[in-house]
Amino acid sequence: MRHPRTTRLLTLLPLASLGLALTACGVESDAPGVGDDNETGAEAAAGTGAGDCAGADGEYLIGMSQANVAEPYRQQMDDDIRAAVGEIPQFEVALADAAQDNAKQVSDVENFLTQGIDLLIISPNEAAPLTAVVERVYAEGIPVIVLDRKIESDSFTQWIGADNKEIGKAAGEYVANELLPDGGTVVEIKGLPGSTPAQERSDGFAEGIAGNDGVEIIATGVGDWLREKGQSQAEALFQANPEIDVVYAHNDPMAEGAYLAAQSAGREGEMEFIGIDGLPIPSGGIKAVEDGRLSATFIYPTGGREAVETAEKILIDCSTDVEKEWVLETQLVTADNAADVYTELGGQ
Amino acid sequence: MTATQTPAPAETMSERRRFRVPERFFALQSYIGLVLVFAAAIIFSPRRDGEIVFLDSNNLLNIVRAVSEIGIIAIGMTFVILVAGIDLSVGAILGLAATGAASLLMVNDFGVVVTIAIVLALGLAFGALQGLITAKLGLQSFIVTLAGLQIARGLARIWSGGQGIPLAYGDGPGLAPESFALLNSRVFNGLVPIPALIFLGVSIIAILVVRHSVFARHVYALGGNERAAKLSGVNVTAIKVTVFAICGMLAALAGIIHAGQLNQGSPNDGIGYELDAIAAVVIGGTSLMGGVGTVTGTIAGAMLLGILNNVLALNNIDSNIQLLIKGLIIILAAGLQAFRSRAR
Amino acid sequence: MTAVTSTGHAPVLAMTGIVKHFGGVQALRGANLTVRAGEVLALMGENGAGKSTMMNILAGVIQADGGALTVDGQPHRFSSPAAAQAAGVAMIPQELDLVPQASVADNIFLGDELRTRWRTVDRRAMRRKAKDLLDDLEIPISPERAVGSLRVGEQQMVAITKALRLNARIVVMDEPTSALSDSEVRRLFDLIPGLRRRGVATIYISHRMDEIFEIADRGTVMRDGLNAGEFEPGTTAVGEVIRMMTGRPIDQVYPDREPPAEDVRLRVRDLRVAAGLGQSGRREPAGVDLEVRRGEILGLAGLLGAGRTELLEAIFGTSGHALSGSVEVDGEPVTIRSPRDASELGIGLVPEDRRHAGLIMPASVADNIVLLSLRRIARKGLRRVGAERAAVAGAITDLNIKTHRQETIVGTLSGGNQQKVVFAKNLLTQPRVLLLDEPTRGVDVGAKSEIYRLLARLAADGMSVIVASSEVPELVGICDRIAVLRDGRVVTVLDRADATQEAILSAASLKTSAVGPADGDRPDDSPADDSNPDDPDTEES
Repeated sequence: MRHPRTTRLLTLLPLASLGLALTACGVESDAPGVGDDNETGAEAAAGTGAGDCAGADGEYLIGMSQANVAEPYRQQMDDDIRAAVGEIPQFEVALADAAQDNAKQVSDVENFLTQGIDLLIISPNEAAPLTAVVERVYAEGIPVIVLDRKIESDSFTQWIGADNKEIGKAAGEYVANELLPDGGTVVEIKGLPGSTPAQERSDGFAEGIAGNDGVEIIATGVGDWLREKGQSQAEALFQANPEIDVVYAHNDPMAEGAYLAAQSAGREGEMEFIGIDGLPIPSGGIKAVEDGRLSATFIYPTGGREAVETAEKILIDCSTDVEKEWVLETQLVTADNAADVYTELGGQ
Repeated sequence: MTATQTPAPAETMSERRRFRVPERFFALQSYIGLVLVFAAAIIFSPRRDGEIVFLDSNNLLNIVRAVSEIGIIAIGMTFVILVAGIDLSVGAILGLAATGAASLLMVNDFGVVVTIAIVLALGLAFGALQGLITAKLGLQSFIVTLAGLQIARGLARIWSGGQGIPLAYGDGPGLAPESFALLNSRVFNGLVPIPALIFLGVSIIAILVVRHSVFARHVYALGGNERAAKLSGVNVTAIKVTVFAICGMLAALAGIIHAGQLNQGSPNDGIGYELDAIAAVVIGGTSLMGGVGTVTGTIAGAMLLGILNNVLALNNIDSNIQLLIKGLIIILAAGLQAFRSRAR
Repeated sequence: MTAVTSTGHAPVLAMTGIVKHFGGVQALRGANLTVRAGEVLALMGENGAGKSTMMNILAGVIQADGGALTVDGQPHRFSSPAAAQAAGVAMIPQELDLVPQASVADNIFLGDELRTRWRTVDRRAMRRKAKDLLDDLEIPISPERAVGSLRVGEQQMVAITKALRLNARIVVMDEPTSALSDSEVRRLFDLIPGLRRRGVATIYISHRMDEIFEIADRGTVMRDGLNAGEFEPGTTAVGEVIRMMTGRPIDQVYPDREPPAEDVRLRVRDLRVAAGLGQSGRREPAGVDLEVRRGEILGLAGLLGAGRTELLEAIFGTSGHALSGSVEVDGEPVTIRSPRDASELGIGLVPEDRRHAGLIMPASVADNIVLLSLRRIARKGLRRVGAERAAVAGAITDLNIKTHRQETIVGTLSGGNQQKVVFAKNLLTQPRVLLLDEPTRGVDVGAKSEIYRLLARLAADGMSVIVASSEVPELVGICDRIAVLRDGRVVTVLDRADATQEAILSAASLKTSAVGPADGDRPDDSPADDSNPDDPDTEES
């Protein structure tokens, strides 16, 4: 549709707004900086912020960039951080959710920079796409704590996470030694192909069962971390394999999905189900163990509380002595200890 | 702006019977929205040291950078929606293009120019094929591009083996040329992101095409009334194919930018981007019924969404609440559309 | 037909002193209308006279600002169409409110379905009662057929049946015959005694003078929101009614014509669509021979379904089917495979269905007018907006299109002006041959005579014009020759001197075993009351 001339000029407005951002900056860049100074950042790159530490007298804004809160594990991570921050009066936390979109997470971190955060906690959606923006934050002298997934450089203050391979190995050893000491068949339901945890939980498990020659993985399915996919994959696997002793799923939801599939096939009594994550929530793996659907789950700690602990150390205690890596231990949850672990981890 | 349009004397009574909002209001709908959101952003923006954080040049540039991919896709989508079609495959084409670009650079060791040319041609061909199927078989573009979405994702997964392909720069085999990293850089004193400049360029070209090409007139005619357009000698098949080809190519361009900005091409990139692009187009005042709309409106719609995202983030609005607010904005825009068609 | 006037009855409906404003525009300024039980009232007036507003108030679509409305002496103010319906008012609009996928019975009972005692839909009872209703009105339609498979005229009868089932006392028919063939019009008229017998008051809106004079008991003419006069078909002359409508005498509806030149502009030989390729419901050309001379207006007459539209579309390249036969333009053999080919050869088409085929409704007047000429005006695919605007401005002035701006959305114009936009679009390409399909449908008397004058002017300038129309009088009035189609063939071509209404109708409806294949999948077109035992050719010679 065309409009008369006056209108036509106005139609250029959005273009102008687009251009405004591009042109105005040239002028504004000389104005007093609003926090994100444009200096090369080389000397400010201490990364611990210790140089101008205000200690316990300061007030601090922590930015928490989450990859995807739609995953219960990551929601739990946010909850843990929120709870831990609530105990420290000097701290305030801003949470952003990238909804599984790398590009959105880059924007989230940029927005944190604009807001002038004092410390960044990030649980990256994927490593490579977020490396550059994390480097930028670190280069501006803002401490960065990376949770769970790593980035592809060492431009961060601390990485906190569990070792998926170790957890997988622990699961494998549990199967080899406790569940199937005399050997038996295992079906493995994997997480999203291409994701590091899926690879590591798989490799670790293989290592764990290597000690018992009688234990054999007879089939694998891909459940993309999802309960419903775990269920449909397990249905097919159960059809194809008449004899299954253990179902090992890379996370609890897929293990629960497999349990449902076995239930509808009337075979849930024949096999044991084990998962990973052990979230202290009503729909989590610990409850599933307590209720007897899963035989065991392995806690995959969120690191949320630990991250705030480190933040306190850096910002309030003005400490520069921070370990580059903090590997969290897993914990085996069985029917014996499920209720206790649930309370211990703050489950409601 | 002059007074509202008075009905011509020859119009019949029934045509006059409802109060009519001036057509120009709708033409400007998205810009008014943009101005409102911009003003609201300034008002609600957090302040630091007396400065309005939102207006910080870096922040504004971040917004343009953040909307550049969706904006470029939405421009292509505008043409498709103008012919009363829809393209659900753009997010998947973005993923395919990002994966393809990363693979060609890292695995095949192609140069940057060759890679970009191949990927753009791929997007163009993919879109054109969808257009051809839509036009020749008389299928709904909704279903054709829904299928295209699956196919593009599948191709991307096969191409990359299901894994994201990270980009590493340098000379030699297995490394991507440094020049591709320009997409993730900023020029003019390290301020202006390259993707924002590309978005600006695509916008200007699209606006010129709409204003000055015979092709664009035929697009509007086809969307307004396919039969009448056909009787008027418009080559309906050619226009549809072209429109989908443009949309596919722009999605591929966005995919190349995506790979460059994120240092990786992954088959899972761009999930749900088609919906953001459609939202930008609709907020921009383009009718899903076809025949009515502008590219400038779409750009305004994309900027509006970007500014909204930004100011919500700057104020630490809970991500769940953000979804509600965005949903309401889209309803509002669509509601205005309905009001317009009723006012007709 | 003798009019059974029931003047003794009190009016079923009386609307008095109705006033209605729209913003600053006064649409009705104290208009009156009364109609009695069993009466057929013709409501006439040019577009914009206030007929539609009046009927919309009656139907509860809009509310009057002043005046009184009584049904059976009871005052009413209809706040919604449902309220009007409840009081016994039924509208049969031009665009019928029927569900094409549903059956006739389902449509008749839509919204008020009969139930079994289990509260489920009682389809059997609905079918039975629908059949009773249809039989009572002597409508030969099976209640089980899908409405979409019926022809427009039959659909209209279904709509009327539906209205009567709701015990309508007042039935408003808005241009019911504009989409009907002559035989369908006859069948529709055959319903009227049934309506009279039931004491239904019928308000009949039409631009067709001949129909009004045939079926109406009385006529009310409106102009500028007021009553311009009343007439009785038996005693009032047509010219007098037109004078009431227009406010000025139209001395001559049809313009004087110059005889055309001798050289043949367009020659069509044995044009046919390969058998079996025609879509169902279409009567594709089955071997048509036709010649149009330079400056000639050739009429295409024939019943609905005789293949008039299909012939024009075949010439214009729209059918999309394999055509056989030959076409010559100015002696050059040509191949026309698409509308684009036709345009490039200087052939233009003003299609029958403005809304769906002629115009891009959401686009502006300028965009519509220039659409066909974009490529010609443009340089290398780039538009020259200045040249376009100048061309459009010229066309608007030339055709007296009433619009304030070129940017006005075409959908907001009146029917007559929309039609002129379609004309303008075609004329801007300066075609050698202009094909017109029902160019005056839904257009009021004043605009009609403007269109006739325009055609005469174009022909005088050397353009060849082919007009397909179901209004025989207008063909007789403006054409140099009239080709009568039946079953996709030209059965006769009549010169102006020989072309009387009777001759055309009998040629169009004559049924001989020699002509065409028997109708298989479609209802018969030839109404019994039209059949003329005389051979048209012998009568004419």
